[in-house]
Amino acid sequence: MITVKGLSKKLPDGTLLLKDINFQVEKGEFVALFGESGVGKTVLLRCVNGLTVPDNGEVVINGDGNPQRINGKKGKELRRIRRRIGMIFQGSNLVKRLSVLENVMTGRLGWISPARSLLYGFTDKEVDRALEALAKVGVKHLAFRRAETLSGGEMQRVAIARAILQEPYLLLADEPVASLDPKNAEVVLDYLKPLTEQMAIIGVFHHLDIVRKYCTRAIGIKDGVVAYDGKPDVSPEVLSAVYGSRPPVWPVAAGQ
Amino acid sequence: MNDIVLLEAGRRKAGQRYRRYYERYLWSGGFLALLFGWSMVDLGISARLFIEGIPHFLVLLAEMFPPNWQALTGGKVLWSILETLSMAFLGTFLGAIISFVLGILAAGNVTPSRAVREAARTLMAVERAVPTLVIILLLLVVVGLGPFGGMLALAIGSVGMLGKLFAEAIENVDPKPLESLESAGATKMQIIRYSVLPQVVPSFIANALYQFDINLRAALFLGVVGGGGVGFNLHMAMSLFRYADALAITVVILVMILLAEKTADYLRRKIIGQEVLQ
Amino acid sequence: MSVAALGAMIVHLKKFRKYVLPALAATLLLWGASTISRVDLGAFLAGIPRGITLFGHMLPPQWEDFPGLIGPALETVQIAFVGTVLGAALAFLIGLLAAGNLSPHRAVRELARGALTAERALPDLIIILFFVAIVGLGAFPGVMAVAVCSIGMLGKLFADAFEEVDPKPLEAMAAVGATKAQIIRYAVLPQVFPSLIANTLYRFDVNIRMSIFLGVVGAGGIGFHLVMSMRLLQYREAMASILVILVLVVLCEKLSDAFRRRILGQEVLR
Repeated sequence: MITVKGLSKKLPDGTLLLKDINFQVEKGEFVALFGESGVGKTVLLRCVNGLTVPDNGEVVINGDGNPQRINGKKGKELRRIRRRIGMIFQGSNLVKRLSVLENVMTGRLGWISPARSLLYGFTDKEVDRALEALAKVGVKHLAFRRAETLSGGEMQRVAIARAILQEPYLLLADEPVASLDPKNAEVVLDYLKPLTEQMAIIGVFHHLDIVRKYCTRAIGIKDGVVAYDGKPDVSPEVLSAVYGSRPPVWPVAAGQ
Repeated sequence: MNDIVLLEAGRRKAGQRYRRYYERYLWSGGFLALLFGWSMVDLGISARLFIEGIPHFLVLLAEMFPPNWQALTGGKVLWSILETLSMAFLGTFLGAIISFVLGILAAGNVTPSRAVREAARTLMAVERAVPTLVIILLLLVVVGLGPFGGMLALAIGSVGMLGKLFAEAIENVDPKPLESLESAGATKMQIIRYSVLPQVVPSFIANALYQFDINLRAALFLGVVGGGGVGFNLHMAMSLFRYADALAITVVILVMILLAEKTADYLRRKIIGQEVLQ
Repeated sequence: MSVAALGAMIVHLKKFRKYVLPALAATLLLWGASTISRVDLGAFLAGIPRGITLFGHMLPPQWEDFPGLIGPALETVQIAFVGTVLGAALAFLIGLLAAGNLSPHRAVRELARGALTAERALPDLIIILFFVAIVGLGAFPGVMAVAVCSIGMLGKLFADAFEEVDPKPLEAMAAVGATKAQIIRYAVLPQVFPSLIANTLYRFDVNIRMSIFLGVVGAGGIGFHLVMSMRLLQYREAMASILVILVLVVLCEKLSDAFRRRILGQEVLR
């Protein structure tokens, strides 16, 4: 599905952040990226959909039997590929003044002809699909509210609906629940997990209990390479190895 | 079966609701577009006029260059420049004095009475509504042609804006210094002098300097209707098709504006700078 | 006088030196400016009775003229309206080019910003006379002048607004696969819309006043009628023009307020 080979990326000051990243993710997997702050997890995600351009290596996406290289593409080709990759951010990144419904419908922009989207807006059919997506994440009743009136968890679910509308092969999640309280985080993840039936999900998470409960696989990044790639219930030894000198403090088991 | 019908009705309603809220913008936009189209037709404007104008534009440019510096000899233009500067300077000065008084009277926290406040506010609002053209034409009858009328028109024209800004600044002062002076037994005058003014004078001066820039440009317009200044010279040159002269005059005007704005900037920085030091 | 009092006086003097020099300069300037402007208090005072008589001559206004003045008044408003719309549209495009986060290239941005600053530096009178010289008299040069004069101020305000938008929704749109135009339409525009409308309406008020003046130089509108009446000493006609102008100004302000509330006020209700 998505193959990353030999990815490397330098920081603006010259230091090598990512050295040689290699992994492969298939549909149905819910992969958790973990590692120290600043090790390059977000940069890695952004290299996958081209928001950041890697220095070396390649990223290949293959959702329909047609493998396509992402890096190096520009303009129309890049947009074509991007519409098959959904991304949700830590802050949900909705357009605050627009309604929830409109925010979700912007997920279709990669599929709509630019001329039509500028003048006419969206068709009734697109409105329907947006409402279905909203229903899938349980916030259909908020469709006509202005996006800024929603809570953080609700906004994140709207962001997921927006990504769903793209019908992506892959969903990238950059610390999607980092700014939510545990209860809301669980709600969001409960809606995220079932999506693996249609796509692969790669997410950056810091909470081990989330990783253990929802993910099918965990990839740990350290010193610019993949240090761990395997079962989501990561042992404490591996954790301290990957996190190095500063393992994060988190509830190790539920209910603690 | 009923559920499906309800679901369908719900779906259609959602589409309609989306349309309806878009429609408000569509209506306003459509209305504006209609107004625009009608105005264009009514005024007789079309793209053709624009295209036909391009050769005229090039001809004009050819006739303007090189500028005729001879037009500047004889001192008439330079004297007009001095007139324009004087009009703007004095007009702003006088206007600032009047605005100062009116502003204090119009500020709720320092005015002697509510009636006075309302009167002052109304005066300023009325002035803002009356176009400067009307003011200058009336003044020309009273004091005749020339920069005196122009200066008075600029002075009166500044009062509405400067006075309003000043009154608002006064009303927004930190009330605590006022209260402490009041409880110490100071008179109204003393309170104004020692706790209100120090807070608002810097912004007043900055606004007045900004008004000077505005008045300098307005003075150009006044010259055309007889209020003195270099606007008259420029208009004359253009009307007589002496385009090279006009370009020379334009250059001098631009230099004048540049120097005046630099001076105003310098003064503004000096005033604000002094305040920061204090 | 005691030494202490003398000392206090000297200190006071030194402090006053800081103010004496500027005060002298200011007095000199004032005197010079008054002479050049031919300030004549006597003439002013003598003119006051003349002014009062004038006012008497102006009333009652020539009511019969009113119907005939509606056409020119309408023309004034139309010129301001069309000019503002054109100017705002151009300012929008140039503003996009002048915004650091949306411009295709840094050089383009500098050029656009430079053009906007240059236009703001040019006095409006020069622009108006320029257009009249190109295409002759009438409403067309008026409209062009209003449009061009608006571009500098509106363009800068728009560009600043574009540069201040929250960049995160823009990134989200890019990740979705949207084109630049779509990103502008769906992520930038919703954020800057209230500011765009407010600034354009403000400029419309300014342009109404400019439009009134256009008539003086022959670019159409009611300003021409006013000046003509005054020059021909037809004071009652002039008063009629003045009243029409005042109604025009107040009406346009109310209309633009109502429009602002209709377009932007809805937001609060939703």
